[in-house]
Amino acid sequence: MSETPSAGTQISVAERVITFVDERVGLKQLTAKMLNESVPGGSRWAYVFGSILLFIFIMQAVTGVLLMFYYVPTADHAYASTQYIIHDIDYGWFLLSYHFWGSSAMVLCVFAHMSQVFLWGAYKKPRELIWLVGLGLFGLVMLFGFTGYLLPWDQRAFWATTVGVEIMDKVPLIGDFMARFLKGGPTPGQMTLSRFFVIHVMVLPAALIGLAGLHLFLFRCAGPAGPFRGTAMELKAKTDYFFPRQIWKDIVGMAVVFACISGLAFWEPVVLLDEATPDPGDYHPEPEWYFLFIFQHLRLRMFSGEFGQILGSIVFPGLLGLVLVFLPFFDRSPERNIFKRPIALIGWVVLTASILLFTVSAIINREFLD
Amino acid sequence: MQPKLKSKVRCTDREIGEVTRVIMDPLSQEVSHVVVSMNGSGERQVLMGAVHTITDDLVQLRSSSAEVTALPPFKREDYVTLHEVEIPGLERHVHVESGEVLVPLPELERNVKRRTFFANLTYVTGLFIGLPLVYPVLKFLMNPMYASLDNRWLMVGNVAKVKAEDVGTQFQYKRRVKEAYMPESEIEKNVWVVKATPAVLERVYQGKDLEFRDAAGKSIWTNKKDIPYLAFSGKCPHLGCGFKWRNHKVLGPVFLCPCHLSIYDASGKVLDGPAPRPLDMMPIQVSASGEVHIIDMEFKAGTKSQTRIV
Repeated sequence: MSETPSAGTQISVAERVITFVDERVGLKQLTAKMLNESVPGGSRWAYVFGSILLFIFIMQAVTGVLLMFYYVPTADHAYASTQYIIHDIDYGWFLLSYHFWGSSAMVLCVFAHMSQVFLWGAYKKPRELIWLVGLGLFGLVMLFGFTGYLLPWDQRAFWATTVGVEIMDKVPLIGDFMARFLKGGPTPGQMTLSRFFVIHVMVLPAALIGLAGLHLFLFRCAGPAGPFRGTAMELKAKTDYFFPRQIWKDIVGMAVVFACISGLAFWEPVVLLDEATPDPGDYHPEPEWYFLFIFQHLRLRMFSGEFGQILGSIVFPGLLGLVLVFLPFFDRSPERNIFKRPIALIGWVVLTASILLFTVSAIINREFLD
Repeated sequence: MQPKLKSKVRCTDREIGEVTRVIMDPLSQEVSHVVVSMNGSGERQVLMGAVHTITDDLVQLRSSSAEVTALPPFKREDYVTLHEVEIPGLERHVHVESGEVLVPLPELERNVKRRTFFANLTYVTGLFIGLPLVYPVLKFLMNPMYASLDNRWLMVGNVAKVKAEDVGTQFQYKRRVKEAYMPESEIEKNVWVVKATPAVLERVYQGKDLEFRDAAGKSIWTNKKDIPYLAFSGKCPHLGCGFKWRNHKVLGPVFLCPCHLSIYDASGKVLDGPAPRPLDMMPIQVSASGEVHIIDMEFKAGTKSQTRIV
């Protein structure tokens, strides 16, 4: 036929499909807009954590859905079905362990991401809303860890939940209601498992997807903050787009995180303890490592007694949360250089050091208990 | 004023063409250059500094036509369009089209009165859908939160297991539970039994029998002050962990909770650690043959006063 294109202008099927979609949704322009986001001062390794978190979340969602093919959220079968995943299903041990270590990676990367934003002063005007939504996401990540921990229904799961919910119970006035509401009764049981399950696999993912979308939207509205040093002209001279240099760094970061999680899943796979029951036997209850510092600081004498306990488990963490929420509103100086913000720097160092200190001392304390 | 597209461009000596594109500076978000089509002989990129005045349809330059022609040709490949890049806020600063870009309002949308009324009506209708759901949904979620208390006696073992006085001995027992639709099942629990010396008994009871009452105030059982057997709930009154009987380097044999290191003596008194109250006593009966019976009770942890929850 006369319309047959000559060899030089041959259009591949893939190109035709792309053109077809592009004509209908403006795909090329949209892709360009997504990739051509200017990064003031150029791409950096320090900026990889946001993308890595998105990657970890997607992997948690994928492995989580896979685990649900076999997992049964009932008090009489949760433990058995988890053991079945570990021992009888091909690669079940790996997917479960990947999901388990993925949660640790998530918490570490959230900490790194928040630290980077904090140290770079990137929460300041006009980025206050990104910071606030980010704090919401941080809360969701912690809730993911807390609710997911119960699902295997072993002793570790049972006791972490027992103590965690007792802490919630300490909230003045509404604590008792909240704790019962979450447990679906006076003590952890089937209702607790059902609730934690649906919160873990439906409520939190929906909330996280929504908030993460909002986080990205707000980020695109304000644009990246860029480095805290250098004049506007210097930054402009070094500016590049999100693609390819930053995406390259991000993908390398993701690969490293993937390798670490896979390695941990391979060499330190999840091993369940005995099935959950209100008799701990020889087991010394302990939360997951990223809650250890809270666990350890509640051992301090200053947090003893009923009042001390409210202070340690509610007032203290609550105040820290409030400080983070109001941070961009009382820290209004436009100065972003961390070396010219001594209070911020000292605050970060003290908080990080005390989290490390309490975590390490909780670990050291273990051997004195046996 | 920003130069408009299609405006004529005039040099000091003559008109040389029209504005085909403008270039924005992402930093200042101002127009930095205009691109001029040279009446068919290519395009030139002219700095805004070279612009003398701008009117609605004319850009007057300070340079001569020879100077503009001598500029290097405009290189399109060094630029992306506004639609292909994301620079926050930039689009709000662009006013380069000649006039507004408009879309006609549909016929039915013209002269609509009571817009606010319709907007509010939408909210009210939404409330009509949502409000009636609030109470049912809350009740739906809250349903199993409060269970009635169970005061049955459970046999937990034989007192022969207690070898010495003032020493904590753990009795494990099974309790049958039937939760909602689940088949009846057994959960394992534990209780600590102490055979107390008179001195410890005195510290526990302080000369008074201990009476257990239900929520209505009716007496369930009384632990007599001269019966040497004490039963402590296996749940630590601090945050609900399970405590153990351990030898402490300084304090000697004590109840120690491994969670937050609360330490209690054989009478349940707090010796050290964060616990807000002594260990919780439970109703105990020891039969002539030595069988130990208890009423399974659990109390809310972390409070100074005792609140029974199981």
